[in-house]
Amino acid sequence: MARKIDFIHKETIEAGTLVLLGDYSRKYGLTVGPPVPVEEILEAHLGLAYDFDDLPRLMGTPDVLGGTWFRSREVKIDQSLDPTVFPSQLGRYRFTVAHEVGHWELHRHRYLSAEGQAAMFAGEDRPVVCRSNDTSPLEWQADRFAGYLLMPKEMVFAQWETMHGNREPYIAIDEIEDLKARWGLADDDRPTVDVARQMAPVFEVSAKAMQIRLIELGLIRTKVPEPGLFS
Amino acid sequence: MAGNPRFGKRVRDLREAKKAVDPSFSLRQFAVKVGISATFLSKVETGEFDPPSAENIIKMAELLDVDADELLALANKTDPELEEIIKTAPKAMADLLRTARDRGLTTDDLERITKSMKRKS
Repeated sequence: MARKIDFIHKETIEAGTLVLLGDYSRKYGLTVGPPVPVEEILEAHLGLAYDFDDLPRLMGTPDVLGGTWFRSREVKIDQSLDPTVFPSQLGRYRFTVAHEVGHWELHRHRYLSAEGQAAMFAGEDRPVVCRSNDTSPLEWQADRFAGYLLMPKEMVFAQWETMHGNREPYIAIDEIEDLKARWGLADDDRPTVDVARQMAPVFEVSAKAMQIRLIELGLIRTKVPEPGLFS
Repeated sequence: MAGNPRFGKRVRDLREAKKAVDPSFSLRQFAVKVGISATFLSKVETGEFDPPSAENIIKMAELLDVDADELLALANKTDPELEEIIKTAPKAMADLLRTARDRGLTTDDLERITKSMKRKS
């Protein structure tokens, strides 16, 4: 892909998810709470065609989890993630759906302009193909979008307060060290702590994704807080 | 699985129409309510797989607010209830149906007879 990928600031991505949630909620007169209805947003609000398929076979590439076809307004998710068949995949499945919504919201104009035009002349509708562990900028942006959409800041804070009675952070240093020692994990490997595992089912995300968001919001601390200037 | 694109498209069109006003008619939620997997529903709707069982089709019709017989006919299936009805009076019911066929009764004729029977009851 010759064209330079535009940098999108994470605050802009987060704001985009909040606008989308607001639009969805107003359109259908629904109050949106966790778990965020990502399929309903994709299928009903954005009106994209939505199907399951054997994507590695369809694309001839291994590890494909999802794909978005911009011109034909279609999203396909790999059938190995179907939570009605594999309930343990629910978190990964919803993250993939939210990730494809992210591509649609952040990248469709780009595809439908230059590259899209070129592809149109070639008579093909090139999808953006999403594989596990792809760290390219487009994938990073869609991942960010998915995290913000599935776990909006205010919903996470409110849920934390419901579960813990306040908004005090949890200092996870000892628990992480303990889990690492028990499981024999490498130093850079971070196990998921209990508070993340307890909250993950509320948002229907993986414990790992929940923990990343909680750390980002400062509700789980993995470092000893610096002493305050006047403490 | 040969697939039945006409059945699949009809179900998808009906579901899309419902979904336009009620987002809960998403692929997964609808599949769960019908009692089939989302992947299976997806492949039935795209015409890759054959329609599900008659019981599942009747459930689909109920959720989509359409006549189950319409969807069953598209799927080349009959309502299992009909078999039960025939079993209640096997000879007489079979006789009735064969006579109707042999006399060459049209759909209009049959509807008229049904209407008149309903009036009498």
